[in-house]
Amino acid sequence: MQNWLKGAVIALVSAAGTLAISQTIRGPVEGRTPDTRVLRTADGKPNLNGIWQVVGSANWNLQDHQARTGPVLELGAILAVPAGLSVVEGNEIPYQPWAAARQKENYENWLSRDPEVKCYLPGLPRATYMPYPFQILQTGNNDILMAYEYASASRVIKMGKVEPPPVDTWMGQSAGRWEGDTLVVDVTGLNDQTWFDRAGNFHSEALHVVERFTPVSPDLLDYQVTIEDPKVFTRPWKIQMPLYRRQDKGAQLLEFKCVEFVEEMMYGDLRKKTGKEKPFRAARLRWP
Amino acid sequence: MSLALAALVTAAALVAAASQEQTAPANTAELAKNWTPPRTPDGQPDLQGIWTNYTSTPFEVPDKSDTPELYSGDLDGTGRGTGPAAFLTDSSDRQLTKTTSLVVDPPNGRVPIMPWAEERRNYKLAHVQDDWENHTPWERCITRGVPGGLFPAGYGSGYQILQSPGYVAIVYEMIHEARIIPLDGRPHVGASVRLWNGDSRGHWEGNTLVVDITGYNDKGTVATNVATQRVRAIPQSEELHVVERFTRVDENTINYDVVVDDPRVFTSPWKVAMPLRREPDYQLFEYACHEGNHAVPNTLSAGRARDKAARGAKAQ
Repeated sequence: MQNWLKGAVIALVSAAGTLAISQTIRGPVEGRTPDTRVLRTADGKPNLNGIWQVVGSANWNLQDHQARTGPVLELGAILAVPAGLSVVEGNEIPYQPWAAARQKENYENWLSRDPEVKCYLPGLPRATYMPYPFQILQTGNNDILMAYEYASASRVIKMGKVEPPPVDTWMGQSAGRWEGDTLVVDVTGLNDQTWFDRAGNFHSEALHVVERFTPVSPDLLDYQVTIEDPKVFTRPWKIQMPLYRRQDKGAQLLEFKCVEFVEEMMYGDLRKKTGKEKPFRAARLRWP
Repeated sequence: MSLALAALVTAAALVAAASQEQTAPANTAELAKNWTPPRTPDGQPDLQGIWTNYTSTPFEVPDKSDTPELYSGDLDGTGRGTGPAAFLTDSSDRQLTKTTSLVVDPPNGRVPIMPWAEERRNYKLAHVQDDWENHTPWERCITRGVPGGLFPAGYGSGYQILQSPGYVAIVYEMIHEARIIPLDGRPHVGASVRLWNGDSRGHWEGNTLVVDITGYNDKGTVATNVATQRVRAIPQSEELHVVERFTRVDENTINYDVVVDDPRVFTSPWKVAMPLRREPDYQLFEYACHEGNHAVPNTLSAGRARDKAARGAKAQ
């Protein structure tokens, strides 16, 4: 490389780095000195084994949002929406104009459109910040398992080189690599059926997700995600949030097999009437 | 040679082999002595990798009283079938267990099901058009269960085992389940937490992973797929107790055996023994079942259409 070109590249890279740092809104700062207490595996890699969970309300809305009444009048304070600050860098999700209109429509029709209502697989990155724990199993050789309590979703992260995914799926294909102490997971092959949150934020099948899991201390991971989808957004955008270790004694993933909780909603009108049904009380919905 | 003839010859060979090697699964301990498994960095015998459970061996020894469609052949002249009909398996040329059935105990290869449980199964399967709860949890896309999820289904037969210090995990291709088994000797969860797949606790006995499972709910079924023949859709009670044993006996084989005991449903415990074969090139696909479940709503809507037609006929 010519010297002048080298200089230009270095300048650009530094500028990008400065920009990234200046736009970091919360959480651990990239490039901080590694905590010497970070747990490590026998081969010296950070040890991410454990049960982790997000604290916060990103699943309600990735962006700044105030508390508001929930969708079902009878539930009162239960299932009312908690306030939360944005996990989106700069708070703006750079939708193309048509997509911004679609997101607004999704928001207004949340209950009929959010795939979570039907217990569908959450996709990535939403699986990580659903309000349920997930477990990381880091093996001695290669693959890393992330198992989510919600809907028995899981993914095996293949380390190293992988072939492109043959088909699009709900959870996509995850390819992992280590960059220093950061587990970088490149997720491709995602379908267009999942959402990012309960606020109607969405994507197409062109979605490309790059996740970065960085241990900050033994019980805290920094989770950063770059989201790219040229069919829906005008540029890549980032989210960032901490993941906390579940330290409850005997913590284990339990079952949240939610299919059985949605069958009445999805198939109830097709069930043969016996005359012994206990009628549902009419609930008053505030939202469509 | 025609395929059908080939199948008959294979079946004949199977029967011949079976009579000599009925005791093969009991030899797991013997076989395991001849091979030293690799170890994980934390010292566990290494079971990791991609495994499949394709088999042409029928789940139970067939009997004249069984639904005839489930069997093919009549080699011994008794009218008794010799194996699962072709539609039950996509792999008739592979992975024979050299036994007449996967059920090895009781020795007659028949699961000792109580009559009430068979009646309940018969009622449910005859009324799948009435209510989704009459479908098996597999058709409902909830789970294939434990141990049912490891019984051959004919497709979606991939499993990945991963191990980390203190845990063994089994990822089931069909219905995308990751079963995480703690090895640290912790007690089972409290009795008020009932689980579709029960609560698994594992420990190593030599090179054998032994998993003890209790805490089941009574909504599941012991087996869900047609390949499990008569046992499919047999209910399970909260008293179900399952003990699984995974022993890697060579580079490419895990001998899996499981004892199922449910005093409300079976007159005695019964045991299945079958191999899991290493198949590193097998690719597990996402089995997003519920997301595309047309079977349940279509079956129900067919039932309601039938009811409507019957009412119409009556009115005339």
